[in-house]
Amino acid sequence: MNRLWKITAVEWKLINREFITLFFALIFPVLMLLLFGTIYGNRPSEIMGGYGTVDVSTPGYTNMIIAVTGLMSFPLTLAQYREKKILRRFMVTPVKPVEILLSQFFVNILMTVLGLVVLIALGKVVFDLHFYGNVLEAIVAFIVILLGIFSIGLFIGGLSKNMKMCTTIAYIVYFPMLFLSGATIPIEIMPQSIINISKVLPMSYGVSLLKGIWLGGHLSDHVKEIVILLSIAVVSGGFAVKFFKWE
Amino acid sequence: MNVIEVENLVKKYKSVTAVDDISFVVEEGSIFGMLGPNGAGKTTTIECVIGLKQRDGGRVRVLGHDPKAHFKKLYDRIGVQLQETAYQDRIRVWEICELFSSMYEDPLDYKMLLERFDLADKKRSYMSQLSGGQRQKIAIVLALIPNPEVVFLDELTTGLDPKSRREMWACVKQLKNEGRTVFLTTHYMEEASALCDKICIIDEGRIVALGSVDDVVDLAGIDYVISFETDGDITQMIKDSIKGVSSVVREGKRLKVYSNREDVLTDLVIFLKDKGIYYRKIDIKRPGLEEAFLKLTGKAWEVEEL
Repeated sequence: MNRLWKITAVEWKLINREFITLFFALIFPVLMLLLFGTIYGNRPSEIMGGYGTVDVSTPGYTNMIIAVTGLMSFPLTLAQYREKKILRRFMVTPVKPVEILLSQFFVNILMTVLGLVVLIALGKVVFDLHFYGNVLEAIVAFIVILLGIFSIGLFIGGLSKNMKMCTTIAYIVYFPMLFLSGATIPIEIMPQSIINISKVLPMSYGVSLLKGIWLGGHLSDHVKEIVILLSIAVVSGGFAVKFFKWE
Repeated sequence: MNVIEVENLVKKYKSVTAVDDISFVVEEGSIFGMLGPNGAGKTTTIECVIGLKQRDGGRVRVLGHDPKAHFKKLYDRIGVQLQETAYQDRIRVWEICELFSSMYEDPLDYKMLLERFDLADKKRSYMSQLSGGQRQKIAIVLALIPNPEVVFLDELTTGLDPKSRREMWACVKQLKNEGRTVFLTTHYMEEASALCDKICIIDEGRIVALGSVDDVVDLAGIDYVISFETDGDITQMIKDSIKGVSSVVREGKRLKVYSNREDVLTDLVIFLKDKGIYYRKIDIKRPGLEEAFLKLTGKAWEVEEL
């Protein structure tokens, strides 16, 4: 356990030297919040179902952070470690390769939480962000989304032949999820055609789940989203574990 | 005591047999070198021995353990430098050393290792800022952190300049002086000659020769070449008068005498003195590993021009 902790500590330092990850996990969501918050303010509005724009957007931006860490940073690091033969080097040490995966999982989750803290703090200070739900239920929802999205990342990172392929797939998965699932732009203002597309994007269920809880709903109101996300976690994660390429 | 035992090792990639029925042992405290051209099966062999690749046949024991079955237990006792390992982007020297130290039960102090390899002042540098030679030294430092009984070095000096290469040789010799066993692969014959107690020449997945460098050269049965300059044509006279001369070749004023007897030199000099033949610039070339290798693998064998 001590060993896993030390590996994680080093990997945490390394992720903090990745400019792209830092920017998209910590800064970009805040910029979006500032932009839309400044344009629309946080007063209850009709198009947002009677809630403030910032209050509705924040759970979406939370998903946006999860998408960056889970679909970009996590799989790309795995593909990089494989392509550079770093994983192979670890295989001839007493460390189990699984510990490397776990440490990558941990540091990306930590980064996600950090991004969330920055986002909420800024929302609170600048726009008087409201949270109408139950904190425990929100945490459960957050974990369910993490499992669903990171399992897709593990699948992409674990099965890509090389970094190039991994980057391509990660972008193809990441951008539609980012813009069409309601994470960046509220689904409420989208035309019906986009809403239909969003139904096949796993992240739209994450957005809907967290937004529901955020605005005062309960986990029991979102069984469908939870089942879908957990199913993705089991299927995608299962495939990734079974077919993971170590070299 | 044999630290590494390999019997009838076979490794196939689809239809290609990369390692074909190889057997050898490595004695404790010795430097064993596997020598061969690119693609001969050196890396595949070393990877089967350390359990990084699954073998298709044969028996492998490292420190008495099957690297397949005793998977993780063994890695506390061996140090490995792999060919072409890169490091994480933006990791500093001391960080990767800490990382590796944290993996082992009883690691050596990496600060002392860095000092020993003249890298103490690079502690805070990023790995990406180091030169090729420095990176290879770090690879050795990382291999030594577990305080290993056996050290595996796969093409340690490939791609290094001659100066760095010689520094590496000194490092490897020091490992032996510390009582560690070294298993290395190389395609530099000079390196094998300079370092190894025992070598194994491998070509197309098979062992061509196995033994000390001298054994291998003897096995190849290559002639010594004595050459000197003289004015008259005495080619036939030498052939008739001196025993054990396999051929005499005249190139302008220079005469080359081939023989598998080293003491043919004595006979030749006595002969020249007796006959009153004046000679200049005499030189004897002892066959080396390079000639033996080329002859044994049957590839592009040419008598080296002097």
